[in-house]
Amino acid sequence: MERRKFLATCGTLLAGGSLAAMGSVLAVKASRNEGDMMWQIDPEKCVQCGRCQTECVLPVSAVKCFHANQVCGYCDLCGGYYRANVKELNTAAENMMCPTGAIQRKFVEEPYFEYTIDEELCNGCGKCVKGCSSFGNGSLFLQIQQERCLGCNECKISKVCVSGAIQRVPVGTAYKLKEHA
Amino acid sequence: MLACLIPAVAGAVARFPKPDFTSGYQYPEIVHGVPFETLWSWVDVVLLVVMMGVVVWAVYYNPNLASNPNFNPNPNGWLSKEKRSRVAVVAVSVVSVLYFGFFRSGCVCSVGAIQNVVLALTDSSYHLPWVVLLVFLLPLVAALFFGRVFCGGVCPFGALQDLVNVRNLRISRAVSGALSVIPWIYLAFAILYAATRSQFIICRFDPFIGIFRLGGDVGMIVFGAVLLLLSVFVGRPFCQFLCPYGALLGLFSRVARRKVEVTPHPCINCTLCHDVCPMDAIRPPEANKNPEHRQRGMKRVLLYMVMLPLFMVAGALLLASQSQTLSIAHKDVRLYTLLQHADEPLAEVEAFHEMGRSEEELKVKVEEVQRQYWIWSLVAGGLIGCVVGIKLLSLTLKRTRKTYEVDASACVACAKCFNYCPQNKKIN
Repeated sequence: MERRKFLATCGTLLAGGSLAAMGSVLAVKASRNEGDMMWQIDPEKCVQCGRCQTECVLPVSAVKCFHANQVCGYCDLCGGYYRANVKELNTAAENMMCPTGAIQRKFVEEPYFEYTIDEELCNGCGKCVKGCSSFGNGSLFLQIQQERCLGCNECKISKVCVSGAIQRVPVGTAYKLKEHA
Repeated sequence: MLACLIPAVAGAVARFPKPDFTSGYQYPEIVHGVPFETLWSWVDVVLLVVMMGVVVWAVYYNPNLASNPNFNPNPNGWLSKEKRSRVAVVAVSVVSVLYFGFFRSGCVCSVGAIQNVVLALTDSSYHLPWVVLLVFLLPLVAALFFGRVFCGGVCPFGALQDLVNVRNLRISRAVSGALSVIPWIYLAFAILYAATRSQFIICRFDPFIGIFRLGGDVGMIVFGAVLLLLSVFVGRPFCQFLCPYGALLGLFSRVARRKVEVTPHPCINCTLCHDVCPMDAIRPPEANKNPEHRQRGMKRVLLYMVMLPLFMVAGALLLASQSQTLSIAHKDVRLYTLLQHADEPLAEVEAFHEMGRSEEELKVKVEEVQRQYWIWSLVAGGLIGCVVGIKLLSLTLKRTRKTYEVDASACVACAKCFNYCPQNKKIN
């Protein structure tokens, strides 16, 4: 029995020692951090493949379209608002780029319109983003809405993102916003 | 095909000038909120410690539980009606399922944290958050002192399976022994895929996350539902046959300072604790009918010891020979294969060309990835070989048991057996 007790103590010391060693190595690593990391889309890399809409683990994706008013041209003929080659420029559903009607616009003054995104309706499909970046100033862009994001250990969208645009970012820069043209 | 593609528009391009408003229009202020995640993740850590503390108290120090040798139940005391019950562990389980499971949507968990730790050890650019480190380490430290108290009720996966468990249909020892290698194989592959930055397979194939989030991948929800249904009849199937973290905890609890005892009183071999144990962790008495000559036994053990490195080498080489096939799990390797074989315009291929990346640059990257796969599949294969070898060795060892004994590496400190042991009902 003495022998078994000795072996048990050796085992405990070995396990404890290796745990302490690994813990201290990792603690040194962890102490170099500047806070929490969050998943975010780099709009410079995003190619609007549309997978953000379908791949997020949430029923409605945490990826939403953001709008940088400072970049927007406030155009009447908006590439993100209207579909390409529509016959009549009116707000009938078949003319709208957004499949969920999440883009709302308000007349500001001749000839300018202000565009806003209804986040509740947006599903992150990125169709408007594609339209805006192709024909407009690129003021519409996709971002992960951090208040909706579950913060999965590994973002499911990031694994299928065709351009590798989804990366971990420090909490201080939780959004990659477009502020200036 | 490429000519008709819309050129990549990186960032804002200012095709239209900034409008000069004359009506005094002001740009709206839009604020995008960031949740105070840090607060919640520290609440997680504090709750983890507190709940493991409750389980330790319930299993080792609860004065109302007879596993304490100083058993002196106070008939008027707190919890007196529930004395010798596992009420505290059940309470912890309920809190765990509600908080860690449904409220925190099961992320980040200790099981998945294995991958973050592996990634942190292999990739210097990866930032390991303190919370993830603690969530990984604390249950292991606890296991070193008190066994698998984390599994008892703190882990939401274990808690969920335990709460629905009614019966324990026994699988034959031979089958369950063979199946117990699976967690280690799972661990080896999790390490391989995490170290090569391919995928977090533990998170990807997490059966209960879909249930906790009330949504997600249909296949995984079905898998989770099947496991949950199974756990009504077979105790904790995920913990027994899949959980890689449980395998690690089991290793540590083998050498724990304190181990769970069914009763402080002498065992009367009534089999009740064995029947109720969800983990099949209570080994029945075994008479060694044909005692072997000591020297022959030693010889065989030595032979297996010598064979262990051979098992490791064989496992390592076997997996490394398949490293090319395995590396398809890496995004860049997959993209490279798609580029070679794609007939129809795929989104990945289009994006690859849009971004102006060259195939040569990708090829260099793919070769580097495959080299890493080769190294890490050696490690993973070696680990699998080692586990198989040790398993075989342990099968050859026969130990005589006169009474029912708790196998510390399998016991999850759920305290179920305490209620059933008739010796615990004795009041001194």
